[in-house]
Amino acid sequence: MYVESFPQFSEWFLPGLLLFLAVLLSGAVLGLFFGYLVAAFRHGPFEAFYVVAQVVAEAVPDFKNTSPRRVVALARLAIKEAMRRRVVLVTFAIFAVMVLFGSWFMGGGTEKPEQIYVNFVLWGTQMLVLLMGLLLSAFSLPDDIKNKTIYTVVTKPVRATEIVLGRMLGFATAGTLLLVLMGLISYFFVWRSLDHSHQILGDQSFAAFTAVDTETHRSTVTGKRVSQNALYEAKTTVDNDHSHRLEIISDVREAEQPPLESDDIIRTVKRDDGKIEYQRVMCLPVGNHTHVVTVAGEGDDAKITLGNSVGYFRARVPIYCSDLTFYNREGEANKKGTNVGKESKRKGYVDGGSARNRSTLSRATFTFEGVRENRFPNLDFVPIDLTMSVYRSYKGDIEKRVIAGLQFESIPDKPDVQNKFISEIIEFETNEFTLQTLPVPKKIVGRIVAPDGSLVEEGAYDLFEDFAGENQKLLVVLSCRDINQYIGVGRSDAYLRGKDQAYWWNFLKGYIGIWCQLMIMIALGVALSTFLGSPLVMLSAVAVMIVGFNTGFLRKLAEVDAQGNLINEGGGGPLESFVRVVTQQNTMVDLDAGIVDTIVEKLDYLLVNMMQLLTYLAPNFGQLNFSNYLVHGYAVDNNQLLIGIAVTIAFIFGLTLLGYFCLKTREIAK
Amino acid sequence: MVTETSSSSQATQNPGRLEQSNPDYDPNIVIEAQNLTKVYRDFWGRQKVRALNALDLEVRKGEIFGLLGPNGSGKSTTIKLLLGLLFPTGGRAIVLGENATDVAKNERIGYLPEESYLYKFLNAEETLDFYGRLFDIPAKVRKERVQELIQLVGLEKAKRRQLREYSKGMTRRIGLAQALINDPELILLDEPTSGLDPLGTRDMKDMILKLRDQGKTVVMCSHLLADVEDVCDRIAILFQGDLKEMGRVDSLLKVSGETQIKAENLPESAHEEIRQLIAKHGGQNIVVDNPRTTLEDLFLNIVRESEERPGMRSSSSTGGDADSGTAAADQSN
Repeated sequence: MYVESFPQFSEWFLPGLLLFLAVLLSGAVLGLFFGYLVAAFRHGPFEAFYVVAQVVAEAVPDFKNTSPRRVVALARLAIKEAMRRRVVLVTFAIFAVMVLFGSWFMGGGTEKPEQIYVNFVLWGTQMLVLLMGLLLSAFSLPDDIKNKTIYTVVTKPVRATEIVLGRMLGFATAGTLLLVLMGLISYFFVWRSLDHSHQILGDQSFAAFTAVDTETHRSTVTGKRVSQNALYEAKTTVDNDHSHRLEIISDVREAEQPPLESDDIIRTVKRDDGKIEYQRVMCLPVGNHTHVVTVAGEGDDAKITLGNSVGYFRARVPIYCSDLTFYNREGEANKKGTNVGKESKRKGYVDGGSARNRSTLSRATFTFEGVRENRFPNLDFVPIDLTMSVYRSYKGDIEKRVIAGLQFESIPDKPDVQNKFISEIIEFETNEFTLQTLPVPKKIVGRIVAPDGSLVEEGAYDLFEDFAGENQKLLVVLSCRDINQYIGVGRSDAYLRGKDQAYWWNFLKGYIGIWCQLMIMIALGVALSTFLGSPLVMLSAVAVMIVGFNTGFLRKLAEVDAQGNLINEGGGGPLESFVRVVTQQNTMVDLDAGIVDTIVEKLDYLLVNMMQLLTYLAPNFGQLNFSNYLVHGYAVDNNQLLIGIAVTIAFIFGLTLLGYFCLKTREIAK
Repeated sequence: MVTETSSSSQATQNPGRLEQSNPDYDPNIVIEAQNLTKVYRDFWGRQKVRALNALDLEVRKGEIFGLLGPNGSGKSTTIKLLLGLLFPTGGRAIVLGENATDVAKNERIGYLPEESYLYKFLNAEETLDFYGRLFDIPAKVRKERVQELIQLVGLEKAKRRQLREYSKGMTRRIGLAQALINDPELILLDEPTSGLDPLGTRDMKDMILKLRDQGKTVVMCSHLLADVEDVCDRIAILFQGDLKEMGRVDSLLKVSGETQIKAENLPESAHEEIRQLIAKHGGQNIVVDNPRTTLEDLFLNIVRESEERPGMRSSSSTGGDADSGTAAADQSN
């Protein structure tokens, strides 16, 4: 998953507030102008000034004297309406049916069932609550006006602000209660569906394992590759549509090292060379999960049990680099890496040298900041997550993975006078297109180098105290160790994995995102319903929703330069595209110069800029949709959440003003 | 033709709180319409209907004022303009010293719409509680008032049922209750007896009279003339948006050219003598006859007696035995 970068809330707030005020002011001016036009049409140009001034003058006491008590009374009415019209009940019933029977059709042997389950509950919840919010808000006020029940309300000392706010508050409360219930049920549903265990196929002991070929590192049963240090293998039963492979691996340690204490050791052997070999039972992961192995006893009589699944419910906190720089074979820096053709727009490639020149300075360097110990929970190692792609210039042994190398360096503030720590290169096999987690030991073997490049010392150094040091900066260098092969990586493809957030908190944040969307939808529906009938409110709100969910795509489609001209790869704006489709002209040639071309160009200029403006006026639901984070197991950043909440409040404020002025200037009994 | 014009003061330019800024404001004038005009236009601004044409009228404190007229005469439009549900095309409406569009005046008024437009998914208690919350009434007082009003309108047994299950009469009664929830000074009733049976109509009229006796001002609009005649002190008659007549009911209905004499226990033999006496003094078109009661009174008496003596046929009839025919009418030219 590609995680976009976003600013800190404290950095975003002030410019965001200024932008909001600018939009509000522009909206106010436009509103006044439009109001004047309508009033002039009805009352004449001179009287219109008075009418507009009166509306504005009355707005101040209306807002100032808005009574919270009356707002709450109207909100209570809205809640009762939502409950007694059974909209909330039917929505919940549909959700319950989905949850009860949905699991029948999910799973299906996929490696990542958690993504399917989480996506299902989030998508289902989102669609249902947004639709419910739309139905409630679109029909309530128009029905009141059509049935004239609003007469008995507006003839009480009730202000337009109170009517608008009361409706919004009431439906928001009903929607929030339902969302909380759906969230709890969803969480329980996902947890119940994914929680499972396995047993070993055959005996629950060493007898179930068969030896592997330790020379070719292949299974003697299936012929497939096994881990480099695997000695034996077995399989588990099929549960939740999958099974795991088990391996007994050899973990060799020096005799001087403290004895390894782990529940998965089945045998301890003292080798002839004096080293201690710990034979450990490993459950290989399927997708993102595995099982903890517990071995009771030792040797052939040991009892092996597998625990419940671990790894499904993750909320990774990625610490991304602040800079990614590529270097070519000659060591020249650039931002794009070696060109291997149009493989990826996002990734740059690092080459592994050639047969003629095995030595290469080609590498990718990631600069990390804020690297300090308290951000990483495990004291023994720091996980680095990598998602790499491989470009093979020759096929070679397709089953043999390309080898990459990681190296760590300190970044001294004064490189001319301060020494530098450089680690040894840690080689590992790449696993293309999947997320690899590499445990970087806290103590790394390396050397200290003087500013002139001379060796000062060699030894094992601490990753935080020595490499990151006081400035908490760390340079991670990725290189390709296979000649004539290339490794591709992007800025978000490598991150240090900080302490995982609590999954329940991350799940809650996902639902807060849905809640923000619901609040905007309700505010939009209520505001539109102050001057439109129910069908038009539905249509308009759905249109806004579609624009909101596709904001990124629309902005890219209507991307303009500083002069307002379209930036795209050919084909022009909407009108030009239409002309090309009709006249069957390809995008490589310009349209025939003439009056038509000029008109099309001018109109397209207008349309494209309007499209751009529209994407900023419509709420960006994509910005509030955190489902991807939950589905792929990443923590939603608190800054992003705060920004989303602030944007939601801004929209509600603006829509409340719109609703107030429309209701205030409307003749209820007309 | 207008026979009574309003004595309103000069309208000021400021449409705000006239009681503060207008030195001529008279607190005894509860409603004042000055040249009030309403023209309905279509979407393009073209004139469709001139619903009200330069209406001038006053409603005084403590009276029952009736707005009469056939369908489409502008009665409901006038009420809606006074309530701020519509904006005037010209002129202005002042209610309790405030501009009609000022929300603050609604603290002191109650409104019963034509069809008691209420929320069908609420029950009676909830309905009155909801409307009560819209006023500045302490919770304890509000709760007491809700129960009092439910008893007043006779809906004690049905107070927990949703309004969608109510009959027309019950709906009107709860509608009246919500109009009185804030103990208003001014009550506007739009067709209050419309759709009610004679019993319900009588109850409604009694209620209106009671409100007047409590010092409240009532404005009602109706096309049921008999009901208006029974309760109203002053009336205005509208036709096609124009005010045609306005004044006290008794003075408007008085037929000045005729004399009516009523007496009880007068034998038949006295009729001829009376006729001759009147003729001697030059009276013409003499009718000496038993007066007629109203059908409403007859109906109500029968219902009352039936409740008191179920199963027995009513014997009360002020005009005598209905089976034997009516009393003879004797006319002379």
